[in-house]
Amino acid sequence: MTIILDPSASLAHDIADPGPDAGALAGKKIAIRIDMLWRSWDWVSEIWAEGLRAEGAEVTFWRSCGRTGEEGVQADREYGALLERSDMAIVGLGNCGSCTSWTIADALTAAATGIPTIAVATAHFEGLAHNLAKRGGRSGLRLHILPYPLDILPKEQVHDIARNHYRSFLRNFGVRSGLAEQSAA
Amino acid sequence: MAQGWGDGLPLIPPTQERVQDFLIAGGRFPDELIAVLPPLRAECTVEKIAINAVMAGCTGDAMPLLCAAIAAMADSKFDLAGLNATTGSVVPAVIVNGPIRNRLDIPCQAGCLGGVAGPAVAIGRAIRLIMRNVAGQLIGSTSQSVYGTPGRVAGIVFGEWEERSPWTPLAERRGVPGDAVTAYGAMGTANICDVVANSADGFLDMIAKSMAYPGANGFLPSSAFAETLCVINPIWAEVIAKAYPKIEDVQAYIWDKCALPIDWFRPEYRDPIGKLGRIKPDGRVHLVPTPDDVLVMVGGGEGGLHAAMIHSWGTCLTVTRPVSAP
Repeated sequence: MTIILDPSASLAHDIADPGPDAGALAGKKIAIRIDMLWRSWDWVSEIWAEGLRAEGAEVTFWRSCGRTGEEGVQADREYGALLERSDMAIVGLGNCGSCTSWTIADALTAAATGIPTIAVATAHFEGLAHNLAKRGGRSGLRLHILPYPLDILPKEQVHDIARNHYRSFLRNFGVRSGLAEQSAA
Repeated sequence: MAQGWGDGLPLIPPTQERVQDFLIAGGRFPDELIAVLPPLRAECTVEKIAINAVMAGCTGDAMPLLCAAIAAMADSKFDLAGLNATTGSVVPAVIVNGPIRNRLDIPCQAGCLGGVAGPAVAIGRAIRLIMRNVAGQLIGSTSQSVYGTPGRVAGIVFGEWEERSPWTPLAERRGVPGDAVTAYGAMGTANICDVVANSADGFLDMIAKSMAYPGANGFLPSSAFAETLCVINPIWAEVIAKAYPKIEDVQAYIWDKCALPIDWFRPEYRDPIGKLGRIKPDGRVHLVPTPDDVLVMVGGGEGGLHAAMIHSWGTCLTVTRPVSAP
């Protein structure tokens, strides 16, 4: 009998649980991971940060730059230190192939520390984000999806999108607040 | 193909017997872990390499090169996770130095970047099948490449024509003498033609200025840094080396001329480029941060007339590894 060997590899394990809910925001330290690529994500996250601060949270931004070589080692160190002093993490933006890869990688790192974590991607890259999360061993990773294309829109329009998405974002993140619960009703 | 293991070309069935023969010829233990490959984050063992290599039509003597190439691509400096997922049209090119070029008949002369018959095609295809089947890089699923590139089928596997190079081999300059493999994130190959120049400065001017186009990877405002690669034919190399016997001077020349004035970029680009500290006091932006980031090697046919530029992808850093005998 001829035996054909399998050239592929498969995942050994998967965590389907999305992890802890964000819960109440008052007094919480929230890390928002931004990047060098997407000004639209800067604009969305600044609107969301306003809302989070209004709920009593303390928001810290961290910008992902070069992720290879010495600069990459330094970036990993900075990001790790940020996660250590944060109660939850918002990680974006998945809006291209490689940036979605890094967004999910950084979200998986945050989720692995046990803090509530949500990744943010645009609609065109939703499938990729889910795939990468699954292949990264955490198919349940929370994901919030923004419209696509986003980065070619003017700032005012992106701000409107950020405001429109804020409530659903809070729900996806498992936030307990008047605003989130009101919108869920 | 029905199993999703193929690339569209016929495959050689990886029977237990064929894979065993390959492993024996390759002289490695099947359960040896070579790398963990993204996006699947799967363990790539010698056995998995052998199975995919058999499917691609490789022979067992390529095993050391395959293992070294895969290990180089898995180095964190190479950013394989980003590279395998990107919208860009990138493929890891494999540059071979040392006597192994001749043992494996890796092309470094005419047609070396594609088209010449030989084992490099199967070696490149094996690496591509490993990326597909082990790493899990699938177009439309984990890879978002907008165009892809022909190199994603049979790879880009070529050598440096060291015997005709007036300079120290690329890998040796990068700290690895002898048999070596260099993994380079290649955004396709592009031609530079010059039928007029007859001097070192003439050839280098044409090479450098051709490499400096605004959409090149190194000019992206989102890239903190980048590298670039230039393959110079042996006829030009000989002329250039008479004026510039030190390769560092060739790199510095190309680096200097491979730049654009900042006002070539539309206003919305200038601020992010400026924030990266990329605008020099003379108002120019260089493609790559330093002369060291210009990789230069000798290869191609004796017809001269052409050089090849191969721009890098993202902040993928080139990785050179020794190719160890089993």
